[in-house]
Amino acid sequence: MTMSVTASRPVARPTQSTRRPMTTALARREVQIVIAMLLIVGVSTLAYPDFLSSRVIANVFIAAMVTTFVSLGQTFVMLARGIDLSVAPILGLSAVVVGFAAQDHGLGLWRGLVLGAVVGMVLGVGNAVLVSWFKLPPIIATLGTFSVYGGLQFVVTGGQQVDQIPGQYTQYGIATHTIVPGVPVILLAGLAATALVSWVLRSTVFGRNVYATGDDGEAAFRAGIPVRRITFLAYVLCGLFAGIAGVVYLTRTGSADSLTGTQTNENLNAIAAALIGGTALTGGRGTAVGSFLGSVFLSLTLSAMGIAFGVPNEWQPAGIGVLILLAVVADPRARRGHALTTLRMRLRRSAR
Amino acid sequence: MMLTVPTGKGGTTYEAHSIDKAFSVPVLRRVDVVFHPGEIHTLVGENGAGKSTLLKIMSGVYAPDGGRRILDGEELGHLTPAEARRRGIYLVPQEPRLMPDLSVAENLYLGALPRGRFGLTVDWRRARDTTSGLLETVGLSVDPRMLAGRLPLAHQQLLECARALAQGCRVIFFDEPTSPLTAHEADTLFALMRDLRDRGLTLGFISHRFDEVEDLSDRITVLRDGSVVGRHERGTVSRPALIEEMVGRALTLTRRTQRDTSPGEVVLSVEELVSPPEVNGMSIDVRAGEIVGLAGLVGSGRTELAETVFGLRQPTAGRVTVMGRDVTTAGPDRCIADGLVYLAEDRGRNGIFADVDLGTNATSAVIGRLPGRVGLLDTQEEARMAQRMLVRMNVKAATMTQPIASLSGGNQQKVLFARWVLAHPRVAIFDEPTRGVDVGAKEGIYQIIEDLAGEGLATLVISSELEELVRLCDRVYAVYEGRIVGQLRGDAITVDSVGELAVGAA
Amino acid sequence: MTAISLGQRRRLPAWGAILGALLVLELGYFSVTNRNFFGGGTGMLTQIELFIPTGILAMGLALVILTGNIDLSAGAIASLSSVVVGTQLESGTVIGAIVVALVVSTVIGLVNGLIVAHLGIDSLLVTLATQFIASSLAVSLAGDNPPQDFASLFLTLGRGTVAGVPVALLIFAVVAAVVALLVGRSRFGRRLVLIGHNAEAARYSGIRVARTTVGVFTVSGLIAGIAGIVLAAYFNAGRSDSGMALLLPAITCVVLGGVDIFGGKGRVGEVVVAVLLLGFLTQGLLNSGFSSLATTMVTGLLLIVALVVKIAFEVRSDPSVLASTADRLRRRFAPRRPAADHG
Repeated sequence: MTMSVTASRPVARPTQSTRRPMTTALARREVQIVIAMLLIVGVSTLAYPDFLSSRVIANVFIAAMVTTFVSLGQTFVMLARGIDLSVAPILGLSAVVVGFAAQDHGLGLWRGLVLGAVVGMVLGVGNAVLVSWFKLPPIIATLGTFSVYGGLQFVVTGGQQVDQIPGQYTQYGIATHTIVPGVPVILLAGLAATALVSWVLRSTVFGRNVYATGDDGEAAFRAGIPVRRITFLAYVLCGLFAGIAGVVYLTRTGSADSLTGTQTNENLNAIAAALIGGTALTGGRGTAVGSFLGSVFLSLTLSAMGIAFGVPNEWQPAGIGVLILLAVVADPRARRGHALTTLRMRLRRSAR
Repeated sequence: MMLTVPTGKGGTTYEAHSIDKAFSVPVLRRVDVVFHPGEIHTLVGENGAGKSTLLKIMSGVYAPDGGRRILDGEELGHLTPAEARRRGIYLVPQEPRLMPDLSVAENLYLGALPRGRFGLTVDWRRARDTTSGLLETVGLSVDPRMLAGRLPLAHQQLLECARALAQGCRVIFFDEPTSPLTAHEADTLFALMRDLRDRGLTLGFISHRFDEVEDLSDRITVLRDGSVVGRHERGTVSRPALIEEMVGRALTLTRRTQRDTSPGEVVLSVEELVSPPEVNGMSIDVRAGEIVGLAGLVGSGRTELAETVFGLRQPTAGRVTVMGRDVTTAGPDRCIADGLVYLAEDRGRNGIFADVDLGTNATSAVIGRLPGRVGLLDTQEEARMAQRMLVRMNVKAATMTQPIASLSGGNQQKVLFARWVLAHPRVAIFDEPTRGVDVGAKEGIYQIIEDLAGEGLATLVISSELEELVRLCDRVYAVYEGRIVGQLRGDAITVDSVGELAVGAA
Repeated sequence: MTAISLGQRRRLPAWGAILGALLVLELGYFSVTNRNFFGGGTGMLTQIELFIPTGILAMGLALVILTGNIDLSAGAIASLSSVVVGTQLESGTVIGAIVVALVVSTVIGLVNGLIVAHLGIDSLLVTLATQFIASSLAVSLAGDNPPQDFASLFLTLGRGTVAGVPVALLIFAVVAAVVALLVGRSRFGRRLVLIGHNAEAARYSGIRVARTTVGVFTVSGLIAGIAGIVLAAYFNAGRSDSGMALLLPAITCVVLGGVDIFGGKGRVGEVVVAVLLLGFLTQGLLNSGFSSLATTMVTGLLLIVALVVKIAFEVRSDPSVLASTADRLRRRFAPRRPAADHG
């Protein structure tokens, strides 16, 4: 006979939200990044006084923009508890397709952007179908599309390079092209995109459903959220942003070839930026602003390594790798051990 | 107090007609229950009687195998949880299932966020405005912008209720909502439930606490082995009569035959063990050949004590010895080597390897001792070894190579007994040994436990079923809030005496 | 008294049979369409030489994936190993160089394992990071003039033959046999498979999950090191980019070989068949004039198709598989629940 059951487990009284605003602010990843960036700038300036020149700083921001666009897309996917390892060749394919169209057929910048976005979206749909319809594990599915898209990129180039990009594109990729004084146009574009994604994530029903899907997909499904459609859209958006990033890449470099994207490790950069920005691989947590700051942080760190401390270029990927590990270690909630313990505590109480 | 739910006339009647449901064994058989508006309708019954399953079917979590669900005269066809919610039916689960990283306000409207113009954006203002009123209704004073994961469990439970109201639900089911709550917190919840009832909502409730059942219920339906065996209105049934209906007989227990041999030496000795927050200084000892019970409420620290003893949790103070050897800080591997084994409470998660064959499941705790030469396992010999033990445990299965998930709960549990007996233990802790085991197989498991004790195994049984403890134990410790609060021996062990101790009443 | 039969000896696994049939079909197709494919005698065996390092890498990856983890750094470790063995060959003995390369690879694997097991970080992130750290090490160590032109003794590891059988193939066979025994017949293997099935139940069975996990990543590092050495011998150079390209086909082999990406289920023998299948396929395509990038593309497609087919295949035999796959996906990204009751 079961009379037992009801527990008189001591339950903690509600922790009144009496934490000081200061402490709360410091707990935010965005604030932490800004402080860390100030520190890096400070130390780098000591080591190399010219580091604080407007040219270096503007370049840090500009160099971060490609990654910003890719990581904004990646943020959708990671928030929905997925991952897209194929963003590098999506970026690359968009860059070569738009690049050839611009070089050989004089495609204008705006149309180029649309074309890049469409290319990205189509490829994103490919991932979305595999993950959302066929229910393949995202790691493997996107690893597979990584090589498929990479192969396509090679096929499209036919081994040739795009290097005659019209000035209409490349003028936007330089620091001195400004509308607002002192702020490069390309940075404005990045900020605008960040603001847009931030709005979508915070204020639209779709955005909130992305968080819910990643936080607890099962509960979200039970609450009537169309989890499959949300996941699908997340991958499509991820492709879309990677496609736009391809055009941004063109404006920055004026060239593209069969290894564009892959060669500069855009996969790693985008995931690193999102992780540094506080987006969790376990879904449900992260912001667009965090991803923007994460990519600027990445760019700043690499510049500091190279310019102020003379670290050779080949160590850049290693630096990013270390940053990824640090970003995750610094987030106790991202650790599996922790997750498992709390999960176990929860389940133990649920006596059926 | 502002209530935002419509308190329309009439209210909603929700009927279950001849519901059938089987998983591998029948769980519900032609169950008829009617939930009336303005009533708290309580389902009582033993573990496994089918109460939870019924509520889950009524709220769209499971589909019934047969029968009809009728809401205000309209038969509901296929029902998903989301569809049920749209129709105003909500199940408050035993464990609140909130989105920990989303705000309180957002959790309230999960899946039904109020939309602004164009239907694209969230109308946060509207959400926020109604949120505070709803939170007030359920007696929750927290910042709506706070992350739900930061709320204590009791508040998460209240938030679940608020969510039901926020989404305009008129039929609310509570599946043992009080198990994780303190008495005070439970009172808050009950006040809310009464309030909702008085406002004409239709409430269903599951509880094991007789005080609650008598206090709250307007109507009681008793389930036993998946069938309705009793229907009562408020104040028409006594507690002993209710218990008899639930158990199916007056409590005639075949107490284990007292063996005249006195128990042997102390095998397991636990001294002042502390592992916060659940274990707050517990001392027990178990002697060879003795079956000792550990009674207590869920959450009293029983399982946590066992896990600390077995090295799955680290103690902060105290001492554990097995046959005089100190295993206080030893992990499970060393505990097993020193003759201490632990049959875990949650079989599916911590016990079985579902897709793995029976033999490998049985030998998983003795991998280091398996037969083999030059580091290579002799899998044939291993299978024979496991086979002998499974036969001894009376496991009913076709072949050793079938996955354990293909067996019934009782047989799975017997395979796990085989696993632990293969480790040649001196002392065993069996945590809820008959949970999820159908009635017929329970006796077989009791038999195994008694046989093992007869061979000199020091045995500690943790159970929520008082009857089980009375049936098996030579001695029973009662645990309350992480401490041992009493001990009973021999004929002093009765359902009443143990039950009283376990609720901390004595 | 119950009677439980010991069970018949294992039937030929259905997935393995499909793979085998595909392999036969493929060999038949290429030998008909491409006269050079067989090349007479043991020619068929030498065809696959280029693919051997990938096959070796797949063996280590199979172990990691069986535990439900992933090792994205294996390819970079192979690169590093091939550069290390190259630079060591310039100054030391063949044996010494090999030992140093293997030690370096094993240590990186060990570090992977320690971070995954003791800091509890998802192996995807850990090995994504160490992948680039190892790769940076390799690039920087190789410098502008990668080591090349090694002693002929060393080169036999890559292109030599013993009685007509390529030495590299023999190395692969030995690694595969050891891994197969490890998984099927050793205590370590039993533990890692059970961890892959249900890590919590393994812990409750007294299996030291962290220690086994560290061991698995360490072995994966060691095997990647072996792959790197064979690579260096094959190319007669320590190229810092040589290993990265192996990762994707190696993962494809493991998945194509039927290993469950969530751990637990899978047979080494089937992975070996998958290695041969993919190896002959890529070589056949290359021989037929496809570019290497197009071949990579086919590999990626195959990976996806293999998974889709496999999931469809499992759904047919057990309709609950889709649900359980979703469930295991969730478990992989272990849902976080609030610890609010202890707040």
